[in-house]
Amino acid sequence: MAGICGIYAFDEIWNVSRFVYYQLMAIQSRGQEGVGLSVTDYEKVRTLTASGTVQESLLSEKINELTGPAGVGGVSTRGINGYVTEDVAIYYDGSVELTADAVDALRNDLETMKEEDAVRRFTSKLSGAYSMIILTKDKMIATRDALGIKPFVIGGVGFDLAVVASETSALDVIGAEFSRDIEPGEIVVIDKHYIDEIKSEQRKDPAHCIFEYVYLARIDSKINEIDVHEIRKKIGVLLAKEKPVEADVVIGVPETAIPFAMSYSNKTGIPIDIGFMRTGRHLRTAIRPTQMERMIGVQLKLNPVKTAVRGKRVVLIDDSVVRGTTMRNIVNLLRKRGAKEVHVRIGSPQLVSPCPFGTEVPATDELIAVENTEDEIARIIDADSFGYLHLEDLKKALGGECYCSGCMTGTYPEV
Amino acid sequence: MKFMIVGSGGREHAIAETATRSGYEVYTASDARNPGLLAMSKELHVVDILDGAAVAKVAHNVQPDVIFIGSEESLFAGVSDTLRKEGFNVIGASQKTAEIEKSKGFMRKLMEKYGMHGRLRFKTFSNINEAIRYIDEYPGSVAIKPTRQAGGKGVKVIADIQAYLKEEKSHAKKRHVSDIVEQKLSKDLEDPILIEERVEGVEYTLQCFTDGTHIVPLKMVQDHPHAFVEDIGPETGGMGSIAGTGNVLPFLTKRDYDTSFDIVKKVVQAIKKETGEPYFGVLSGQFMLTEKWGPTVIEFYSRLGDPETVNVMPQLQNFDEIVNGMMNGNVANIDAKFEEKANVVKVVAPKGYPNERGMGKGHEVAIDFDKVAQSGSHIYFGSMYEENGTYYTGGSRALEVYASADTVEEASQKVEQAISHIKSDWKLFHRKDIGTKALMQKRQDQADLARDIFRYREARGLIGKTIDWIPGIGKIET
Repeated sequence: MAGICGIYAFDEIWNVSRFVYYQLMAIQSRGQEGVGLSVTDYEKVRTLTASGTVQESLLSEKINELTGPAGVGGVSTRGINGYVTEDVAIYYDGSVELTADAVDALRNDLETMKEEDAVRRFTSKLSGAYSMIILTKDKMIATRDALGIKPFVIGGVGFDLAVVASETSALDVIGAEFSRDIEPGEIVVIDKHYIDEIKSEQRKDPAHCIFEYVYLARIDSKINEIDVHEIRKKIGVLLAKEKPVEADVVIGVPETAIPFAMSYSNKTGIPIDIGFMRTGRHLRTAIRPTQMERMIGVQLKLNPVKTAVRGKRVVLIDDSVVRGTTMRNIVNLLRKRGAKEVHVRIGSPQLVSPCPFGTEVPATDELIAVENTEDEIARIIDADSFGYLHLEDLKKALGGECYCSGCMTGTYPEV
Repeated sequence: MKFMIVGSGGREHAIAETATRSGYEVYTASDARNPGLLAMSKELHVVDILDGAAVAKVAHNVQPDVIFIGSEESLFAGVSDTLRKEGFNVIGASQKTAEIEKSKGFMRKLMEKYGMHGRLRFKTFSNINEAIRYIDEYPGSVAIKPTRQAGGKGVKVIADIQAYLKEEKSHAKKRHVSDIVEQKLSKDLEDPILIEERVEGVEYTLQCFTDGTHIVPLKMVQDHPHAFVEDIGPETGGMGSIAGTGNVLPFLTKRDYDTSFDIVKKVVQAIKKETGEPYFGVLSGQFMLTEKWGPTVIEFYSRLGDPETVNVMPQLQNFDEIVNGMMNGNVANIDAKFEEKANVVKVVAPKGYPNERGMGKGHEVAIDFDKVAQSGSHIYFGSMYEENGTYYTGGSRALEVYASADTVEEASQKVEQAISHIKSDWKLFHRKDIGTKALMQKRQDQADLARDIFRYREARGLIGKTIDWIPGIGKIET
């Protein structure tokens, strides 16, 4: 998984490196293992990379080494999600492999043909999903795969800057105004003297990643014309309707499941309470690479607030269950703090299959939902009851069929 | 009757066409051989249109019944005054009264002095250091402009809200004030730099004829100043404009219109008091609907807008009545009558506009006029010239493509069709998004938001007010 962003100033009075830095912070939730930031001064593309989060990477101290009117960057769950040379920097969110040969060919083509043709030739050889930003010495090019699997938006600031990013949160953070989603298959070329929007001629039905709406995207983002928070709230309502239970308190697992829990509580009238306090920084536990790290993450993140659960029948709401080990841990924590009953509700459908497009869903034999029914899962994680959101309900909440739900069905669109 | 035009752009082409349609015989004094004006004019005299004496010489030659000055620079140069002294009947503001456009400092001071609706806090500066000191002392969201009208060049609107980006923004502001002075964008003005309060909202233009007392407003128009699609990119003279079926733009209200008209009226009165001269000619208000005032003044034009002229002229049904009124010095009881159709104008510009016009100059353009006509569109020539039957770009905005229809969206589609029949080996660009449903909706949303906040402020008696509380100093109301 990854997040990408970029800024292009039409006027050289701007130095954008710090803008990109804050954009990266605003999409940090999309990947916390590696970060890269590249800036051009029209002469040369200079890059800083680091492991870890944007803030912990100490990029902030080195950022002054980079100055220039255009810059791009990426955060990722594995290393650097891009390819960088001295005259081009490419960052992507998706599942493509960028080889040295392919990038060399692109660099060459960009010298000799129209940008859109060069990029089309480059991406036609890639297989997989991508939202991608290509920064050259004097241009910024954004492109998205024909199915629009990964989110991608464009906006601007005043008369000065054009901005692209995985999510609108990276527009808001620098005060940019959202314009629209970049369309599936589209290429946007941003130059000092023009912006070209080349829409794809072969229009396929889009297949936007459905997991963005239940887990990946920030709730203050709007992607594919839908406000993420609206969907998360609808999911809570659907869970309340489809998987009701008598209880005394609703607890959401921070951070992603809080909106589900809020609207579950509103719908059922069961009061919501704050069930956990966090120690240390915000970590996305489900996307940590190793089991040990996930355990450490959960234990640090989730210290139960005793009075919220003691002697109570608890509806515990989380965003997803992958392997079940984390959830079992959490249920146990609540029981030890005196919860009388623990009913687990999950704001996403079963994950039954890995994602070929770059989202870290584990291999099938590591997924608890593949072999187990809801009742069996309840027994494994030691809960009184357990319930998922139905995929059909999620689709209803989204109001359309233009989504890839491969991790929930095992059926994938062809890229 | 002989109708003489002074000017050279798409605006003048549209005026010439409307004059011809209204039965006048058109003569032109122009500093360029605009192919559109050439085609419309009985005679086109190439002359320095900033030189009053030279234009007067042409006028003595032509003996026009009326002279319409299209270009603001001619007004600033006092061409209308010279022509009037020589006894010609002129539609165009005097040099003194055209100051309302020429100097935004003059305009802002006038609004302040007369306590007008829609004014903004501002300060002008005579040198870079003074402006830089001000930027350091008062960090915040500002618009930084050349004080003088500079054709849209040099305008920066910098929202300085995120504390973590302050340093970058401060740096950009300072470099920009230096650029304004170094590039001499304000030419001869004593206070070349204007820093004013930044506002946001929906922009629109209200163009009016006035005899100095009575005012004839035309239908409202919305221009699109950003160079590129999605309202991104540098400020230009305008990349296209739209108008609705009626006098009020689709996303504005009758009240917005009335307030804007009232501001124009008060400005006409104030100019007379201040300069001792009646404002006689065209006065256009460039407004923004903001949460602070509702209709808020961004700038005034002492002439018709470009491209906004093209939104009003082809649909104006009683141009002759207005011209007659102006010739008699009285436009009381005249209403401008328009065809009840929406319309869209899109500008086609060569790559290089607006920041490096030199590179966009001298490129061949082929126009399939039959196909353009079939699309129901019409072309007005801007910065273009013709040599041996071939059209070439002049570096600035080349063409203005116009179409009318029942809705803005339909008109926009017609224009798009027409533009597909304009070809060049050099890259030409235009804004596909102007007049689309998506952009119209965005304008509606922006306008609704501004109006909501405005109404809340209005209910609390906060219109036009800014209240600050500064620790250690206390409350400051302005």
